[in-house]
Amino acid sequence: MAVERMDTERLILRKPIPEDWELFRAFTMSERSQYIRDEMPDLGKAWRMFATEFGHWEIRGWGMFTVTLKGDDTALGMVGPWYPEDWPETEIGWLMFEGGEGKGFAFEAAHATITHAWRDLGWTEMVSYIDPENVRSYRLAERLGATLDPNAERVDPEDLVYRHPKPEGLQ
Amino acid sequence: MIDIPTITTERLTLRAPSASDFDAYAAFRGSDRAAILGGPYSREQAFDQLSAILGHWVLRGYGRWMIADKFTDVPLGIAGPFFPEGWPEPEIAWSVFENAEGKGIAYEAAMASRGYAYEVLGWDTAISLITSKNHRSIKLAERMGAKPDGLFDHPDYGNTHPQFGDLHVYRHPSPEEIS
Repeated sequence: MAVERMDTERLILRKPIPEDWELFRAFTMSERSQYIRDEMPDLGKAWRMFATEFGHWEIRGWGMFTVTLKGDDTALGMVGPWYPEDWPETEIGWLMFEGGEGKGFAFEAAHATITHAWRDLGWTEMVSYIDPENVRSYRLAERLGATLDPNAERVDPEDLVYRHPKPEGLQ
Repeated sequence: MIDIPTITTERLTLRAPSASDFDAYAAFRGSDRAAILGGPYSREQAFDQLSAILGHWVLRGYGRWMIADKFTDVPLGIAGPFFPEGWPEPEIAWSVFENAEGKGIAYEAAMASRGYAYEVLGWDTAISLITSKNHRSIKLAERMGAKPDGLFDHPDYGNTHPQFGDLHVYRHPSPEEIS
């Protein structure tokens, strides 16, 4: 069953809203987004990437959450389940905006969405596709307990595939 | 979930795009027909693009429909009011898949889309942006009574769209002019 909002110790994870656009745009049209796109997007492309996040929710009924602090609805990043058609496996993705880095928010949000995907969405597999040069991202995957799966299928042959273990006790 | 209205015309249904349309949409986006639209695109990109069509509805409250055969529901193309960031003003957009070419389907869908924009959304003007290489679309715009109105122009990008290059503005007749 999909969930549109989750609370963690410090954070509220919620379905994206149109007001997240300005911070998404600032992220996407900066060097911070270099590992999730081929080239620097123009304004229209950045907006379509934003629209894609909403469309994923429409098509699947679930998608990546906007990460916010409790008591402050400002978007800090987007984290959570992601499964475009033809993706080899269901993915947990994360992208943190400028103000959201270095405080353990990505870990806290990713951890919550991992539990959500196993428990509420009934996933049977879970990976994260990560650019090999994105050191902060694969370190996060490792902190979350994921391990490299060199044999896993991947869309981009350059990507690392980190596989998340299914916690015991979850059906 | 958002509520996307359905429109019917003589032969067509304009309805919400769905996951079941994906193969037909991806085939179109992956074909040479998409070359004038910045493609061809991979299936992965096509899924993002289909998602973005739905996201446009969420963000703007209107957007493009899947054009489907009224009787079989076979997907035939995409049409509707379209206004992404970076666009000079809202437009009426259309593209039809290979199985719909040459039957007046794009015309029927585009006319219904323009009617919706004027009558339901209350637009008092509408454009369509078309690359000079897209002769069929230019002919269709002219058939709808639209007239050339200069080049794409945007404060950030000037006259050359960063993704689509030279785009010609076709201005549709106003609601008063067609009433």
